[in-house]
Amino acid sequence: MTPGDVFTAIAFYLVGATTLVAGIGMVLVRNMVRSALLLVLALGGVALMYVLLSADFLAVVQLLLYIGAIMILMLFAIMLTPGQVDLPSSAPQAQRITSALTALAVGVISLFVVLSHPWRIRAAPLDIVTSERLGSLLMSTYVLPFEIASLLLTIGMIGAIVIARED
Amino acid sequence: MALVPVGLHHFLVLGTLLFCIGMYGALSRSNAVGILLSLELMLNGVNVIMVAFAKFIDTPQELAGQVFAIFIITVAAAEAAVGLAIVIGVYRLRNTIQVDQIDLLKG
Repeated sequence: MTPGDVFTAIAFYLVGATTLVAGIGMVLVRNMVRSALLLVLALGGVALMYVLLSADFLAVVQLLLYIGAIMILMLFAIMLTPGQVDLPSSAPQAQRITSALTALAVGVISLFVVLSHPWRIRAAPLDIVTSERLGSLLMSTYVLPFEIASLLLTIGMIGAIVIARED
Repeated sequence: MALVPVGLHHFLVLGTLLFCIGMYGALSRSNAVGILLSLELMLNGVNVIMVAFAKFIDTPQELAGQVFAIFIITVAAAEAAVGLAIVIGVYRLRNTIQVDQIDLLKG
């Protein structure tokens, strides 16, 4: 165990606890604006997790795309639906209990599988600068999914304009 | 699973917990935007797991997990744009985005 390991562990537990608390607050808080801002905190925590996982490019993409673009879109949608920000009741009691049980069951089963499966862990964890490698991978091995993703984004953009347009 | 050093399992547990929290939100929220927010949390839980696989798992295809995460983020962006457009369209039509009141197709 090196000092670096201890530092990484401290960072992981601090950021992880913040992310989980923000996530729990996000699903429990009634007011939608607060919920969205707590989700921003959780997404920022996930960006820091990417840094800890030495995924430099993804950490920046997470900041730019999720916090910069998607969350702004969400806040706009919340602001554009006045009167819906603070709904009177979140959901019937029975529905909340059923959802909690479902999520708990999925969680217990997934955690059991995740912790009991014999993963083939590599000898030295991947620790390289990823941006350049990702770029060349997207242009060579994954060029077909890349093109389909660009098509999907175009279709999504056109669809969003058509659906939300006032006619 | 020891507390220090942080390894694959820690990140997998974190991702799973994020996924389950998001799942609870997606099932229990009655505000349509709230459901979309919870979906983003679920997708992020999966992304953490993907990137953890890219770092720790021994595969011939290096960085495949991170490429997957990029595609998940792309699909999430498209999903958010279209989903919010639908939410705003429904609000214009029905003046509510409470999902149990949007029951036009209910028999």
